[in-house]
Amino acid sequence: MIYNKLKNPIRRTLCSHLLNSFSSIAALIYMHPYTSPSHKPKVAIASSRLLVLHSINLSWYVLFFTDANCTRLLTQGQGPSGMPGGEGFGKKKDDKKKEKPKYEPPVESKFGKKRRKGPDTAVKLPSVYPNTRCKLKLLKLERIKDHLLLEEEYVTNQEAFQPTEAKQVEEREKVDDLRGYPMSIGTLEEIIDDDHAIVSSTAGSEYYVSIMSFVDKGLLEPSCSVLLHHKTVSIVGVLQDDADPMVSVMKLDKSPTESYADIGGLEAQIQEIKESVELPLTHPELYEEMGIKPPKGVILYGAPGTGKTLLAKAVANQTSATFLRIVGSELIQKYLGDGPRLCRQIFQIAAEHAPSIVFIDEIDAIGSKRYESSSGGEREIQRTMLELLNQLDGFDDRGDIKVIMATNKIESLDPALIRPGRIDRKILFENPDSNTKRKILTIHTSKMSLADDVNLEELVTSKDDLSGADIKAMCTEAGLLALRERRMQVKADDFKAAKERVLKNKVEENLEGLYL
Amino acid sequence: MSPSKDERKDSVLTASKEDKKKQKDEEELSEEDQHLKDELEMLVERLNEPGQQDNLYSKYLDSLKTFIKESTTSMTAVPKPLKFLMPHYPLLTEIYDKWSGDKSSNLVLQLADVLSVLAMTYSDDGKKASLKYRLLASDDTIADWGHEYMRHLALEIGEAYQEQLGLEDDSVDRLVQLSLKIVPFFLKHNAEADAVDLLLEIESIDKLPEYVDENTFARVCLYMVSCVPLLAPPDDISFLNTAYTIYLAHNQLTQALLLAIKLDNNDLITKVFEVTNDELVHKQLSFMLSQHNSSFVYPGENEEIQSCISNVKLHDYFMYLVKELNLLDPKVPEDVYKSHLENAKFGLGNSGSIDSAKQNLAGAFVNAFLNFGYTTDKLIQTEESRKSWIYKTKGQGMLSTTASLGALHRWNISDGFQHLDDYTYSVDDEIRGGALLGIGIVSSNVHDDVEAAFALLQEYVTDPTKMFQTAAINGLGIAYAGSSNEDVMGLLLPMVSDTDVPIEVSSLAALALGHVFVGTCHGDITSSILQTLLERDVSELTNKYTRFMSLGLGLLYMGKTEQVEDVLETIEAIEHPISKTLKVLVNICAYAGTGNVLQIQSLLQMCAAKQQDTAAEEAKLAQSEEDQLKEEASGEAATATETDGTTNAATNAEPESMDVEMEDAEATSPKKEEEEDKQEDTEPDSEDGELYQAFAVLGLACIAMGEEIGQDMSLRHFSHLMHYGNALIKRAVPLAMGLVSASNPQMKVFDTLSRYSHDPDLEVAQNAIYAMGLVGAGTNNARLAQLLRQLASYYIKSADSLFMVRIAQGILHLGKGTLSLSPFSMQRSNISKVSLASLLTISVALLDPKSFILNDSTTETTHQLLYYLTPAIKPRMLVTLDEELNPIKVNVRVGQAVDVVGQAGKPKTITGWVTQSTPVLLNYGERAELESTDEYTALSHSLEGIVILKKNPDYVEEE
Repeated sequence: MIYNKLKNPIRRTLCSHLLNSFSSIAALIYMHPYTSPSHKPKVAIASSRLLVLHSINLSWYVLFFTDANCTRLLTQGQGPSGMPGGEGFGKKKDDKKKEKPKYEPPVESKFGKKRRKGPDTAVKLPSVYPNTRCKLKLLKLERIKDHLLLEEEYVTNQEAFQPTEAKQVEEREKVDDLRGYPMSIGTLEEIIDDDHAIVSSTAGSEYYVSIMSFVDKGLLEPSCSVLLHHKTVSIVGVLQDDADPMVSVMKLDKSPTESYADIGGLEAQIQEIKESVELPLTHPELYEEMGIKPPKGVILYGAPGTGKTLLAKAVANQTSATFLRIVGSELIQKYLGDGPRLCRQIFQIAAEHAPSIVFIDEIDAIGSKRYESSSGGEREIQRTMLELLNQLDGFDDRGDIKVIMATNKIESLDPALIRPGRIDRKILFENPDSNTKRKILTIHTSKMSLADDVNLEELVTSKDDLSGADIKAMCTEAGLLALRERRMQVKADDFKAAKERVLKNKVEENLEGLYL
Repeated sequence: MSPSKDERKDSVLTASKEDKKKQKDEEELSEEDQHLKDELEMLVERLNEPGQQDNLYSKYLDSLKTFIKESTTSMTAVPKPLKFLMPHYPLLTEIYDKWSGDKSSNLVLQLADVLSVLAMTYSDDGKKASLKYRLLASDDTIADWGHEYMRHLALEIGEAYQEQLGLEDDSVDRLVQLSLKIVPFFLKHNAEADAVDLLLEIESIDKLPEYVDENTFARVCLYMVSCVPLLAPPDDISFLNTAYTIYLAHNQLTQALLLAIKLDNNDLITKVFEVTNDELVHKQLSFMLSQHNSSFVYPGENEEIQSCISNVKLHDYFMYLVKELNLLDPKVPEDVYKSHLENAKFGLGNSGSIDSAKQNLAGAFVNAFLNFGYTTDKLIQTEESRKSWIYKTKGQGMLSTTASLGALHRWNISDGFQHLDDYTYSVDDEIRGGALLGIGIVSSNVHDDVEAAFALLQEYVTDPTKMFQTAAINGLGIAYAGSSNEDVMGLLLPMVSDTDVPIEVSSLAALALGHVFVGTCHGDITSSILQTLLERDVSELTNKYTRFMSLGLGLLYMGKTEQVEDVLETIEAIEHPISKTLKVLVNICAYAGTGNVLQIQSLLQMCAAKQQDTAAEEAKLAQSEEDQLKEEASGEAATATETDGTTNAATNAEPESMDVEMEDAEATSPKKEEEEDKQEDTEPDSEDGELYQAFAVLGLACIAMGEEIGQDMSLRHFSHLMHYGNALIKRAVPLAMGLVSASNPQMKVFDTLSRYSHDPDLEVAQNAIYAMGLVGAGTNNARLAQLLRQLASYYIKSADSLFMVRIAQGILHLGKGTLSLSPFSMQRSNISKVSLASLLTISVALLDPKSFILNDSTTETTHQLLYYLTPAIKPRMLVTLDEELNPIKVNVRVGQAVDVVGQAGKPKTITGWVTQSTPVLLNYGERAELESTDEYTALSHSLEGIVILKKNPDYVEEE
């Protein structure tokens, strides 16, 4: 309907120009000379879809004309051609100019300037150096505190006179009104100019739409998710959190129950991991004083069942830092590029929640030595590892992120992954000695109901090659055996039988190894 | 087992699980540990057994000590011996009590020694047991126990000292004695910060110099100096003095000089000169003094050294710089406008429709700033003098344009005077006036025996033509800024005190005096300004120029902190609303550059003063009492509005026009008063009442710029002020932001300013535009240039704003990017009072841009005030000289300065450097280093400004 009336190319341009400057379809309807008052209701009830299409058509048209062309045509329209529409429009535009002489141009807006953390860089608190503990640092921190107190005082005083909160709520409501309800979600394909962009909806169709003035243009960048008005499809908001929900699952909300007390032995390992993971997060100044950079990460390696994962759990239990845990195989994804992306996002989340500890279990899933491979899957895995390499010690400083990795095949790992600077400490977990075995056994049996005849000393003094996990298995086995006989206590015999069974399984494994 | 110090540290991470773990620990001890534990226990038992030989006890104690000392363990846990001994601590204390009566003193001392260490890990609920036993033990063994113990002791000493101060003098003395034992240990073990902190706690920082040696002094002093801006007086002064003593003792004269300048003490400066007889060093020191526009007079005979202080040669070095940088070709304003890049969508050609005279005037200013000090240009000094740009402007514009000739020839006295000489005989009064002002500008900061500027301007100060008078006064103020020249005072003081002189002239004279005697607390000037303020008619004080009189008074006390108290009391006596403004202004000047938080607080409270409606209500309540006051206030409002109205109409150049205005104003004020009463006092706070708030905002900037945290945090304050403040505060905020980061274009600052530059209140926008120029002054910052170009097309229709944009563009390209307006010098350590005074003057004028800088009046002093920027302008160069003071080329590394305070080892002081050959330009926050220190040694500790290099006699060129 409107489109027909706009057949004249000049007027069509005028209109699209108008559309450009007033960035709303309402303006289009209102300002067009042919839209007499009697027409207006009709237009209003016309299918919204149609309207949108029209506006899009018109707007596309604009794309073929540069701004300069538009203005030239505009003046032509006002000139000798003497078309009624042109004249009327010109007059209206003049009026507009008189009312608001300073309408144009608006402040230049900046797109896609990603501001990490915090609403405004100007609001960020100054960083305090030196890091060593000294009076100077204290004085600086106190000075910042003083200023903040002053700010608080001033703001509370002023709030008493002119409350902003109520005003904000009011403004917020207004914005919500403008946004309309319900909204739909789309992807920003391209930004055309300050007020216009091309979006694609979930259905796949692409629209040329206007960006509402209240949208924070600093957050807009190509391929971000945006909220769209349900009728006009104009952009009314930006969806910010683009991290994969998978990553947030990895964040540990509930700490595991295992603590350092549940680890038998491993004193040296605990000390090493404390020094290189926990201490840098709590007392960075110790390292600063010494003039060294704290280690970035550690790798725990050793035979199966020696307590690598258990130690990591204990770290997670003790720390108040954010603990992210992943298994190496999680980083292997179905689609090309998903693995590296996930890897990036993990570290991004870790940086956002710094200080944080990232624990990657079974790192050999992705971290094995690189070799020439024709399989796409292999290559993708290797790319994932390369991303991990970059995240560990790449160009950007990661800040307060410590990495713990665990594997039982350190010899198969890529040397680049465990070079100093990426992984500064390699912590070996050996099979327990008899003393440690005793401790482990005490830990596992402490909650079992034992008969009096059980002599723990006897059980572990032997030279059997038992790992921590084996001992645990032995205890469980003994308990099961007792259950089988419907006893309420575990007897020494049970332990003996259990030990035999465990050892037998072990021996079989070893024999298998022999025949290979 | 009680939580020990080390374990407590871990408690952030390991909170409640600790207990469980400990239980386990006790149960499961490795054989090795068990063995150790048994031995320790045995030793304790032995000690407890009475009736043994003394030497046996001594043996036990020795082995205990060895156990403790030899234990090496991780940093996450308490040393094992200490852990095992902890349960026996009470027992040992008992033994001690027993022994202290009947055993030999040596043994007791030994035990006390051990106990002191044990007490460190034993819970000390404020008992300071460690210190107690330390004091009982002998002092010789103190260093045996390592760093952690020393730190613990230092902590307890600090606490004990504060507690016992004034109560027990003996023990305080003992504490000091002990501390002085600890300090050398700290200094020896890379813990300068701890040493200084400890001495600060026990208030004897002055004892430090005897302990530092050539290895430690640099780090100690660096730490101390960086503490200074954050310390409360009088600690800061004692820190500076101590650091000064140390530098002097270690022959670091240039650094000592900087501190002496900071302390503002001429005796200390003289002392620095007296240390050495080396003339070269003297010259180097003089060059540094000259950067601060110091009024110091060289004590020796050497003329050449005095000439270094007086900047006589600065012109030659500057010309050398620009020649080497290939900048000699003069530029025209269009070169920085770059209108072809402006978005011409809405343009109607370049400023075609608007007041061309005003734009030509802007062009003159831009030309002056652009070719500042280059002696050549294309606009003013044309071959045919009639074609000069001067004749394209009119009225006061001609004055400013002529004066720009002075800016072009700054530092170059002889040539500059010759060029200006022609214009002093011109038929146009404006041009002659401009020439006078130009004479002042040329000789700004450059002084010689002849004092030609003074001789030339002298006669015009009393000239009946007001234009000559003001031009001459301003010229003198600019020329002698910071020089404390008594002759100038003799000339200008009568102008201030004579109440028959128009208030405008009188105020400008006071301002000029303020600049000349900046930061001197000069008594005569203070009293005459105060006297004038007391004697002048009430209505005269409401004149807009009075603020300069106030400012003049304030500048006298620049940076003098508490010395201002007397003046503030006297100001109380002035029964005019202006007293409040005056008080604020004087106060902010006095505390400028200190970073004093209390002052900032009081200023913020002023800005938060009641909003108008509440104030009106209260005013109604107190109406009867404040009748008198309110009459004045409203009268004043009337005058303020009235003067604005009449000044434009006034065409008479005679000074009496002022009086006429005043009468007019008084005549109309009662009428206005009635009207205002009818409106229920909607505006009880007149312009002047709010004016003090605007000053308070500027004051925030002045005070906060003293240290970096303040600078950062003030930006936050400003954003709040912009959000809540009234119109005047809003106008002041951009200016204050500009002040804080002059010549330091940070993204976050000019982004915010660029937002303000589109404010609906034009005056806010104009000030923001000026501030954008100020922030980028002399940097040629491309981003700012682009923003300003956009503003130029945005404000194409508004003559005033466009004028401001042009000025900002000019300042941005100050001296084609070779000059700076930053008040900081020498690695941002010192603030030049002269520079700050200049910047502050312009900011004060711009609080009301319409009545000063943007005023088109033909009779008043208006945009020529912009030339008060001149004293602040200095080259941001590094020129290296040989021993004959001729420029030489050496390679230097220029990079971003790094704050190395308190860092371990010998970190690099610059990062991301580029090797260039001198002369080079230094940006804000950049530092230079000599590339090969073997060939030359610099006489100054920091390469900045003019530096003399000495050839190394032992240098052998590598092949």
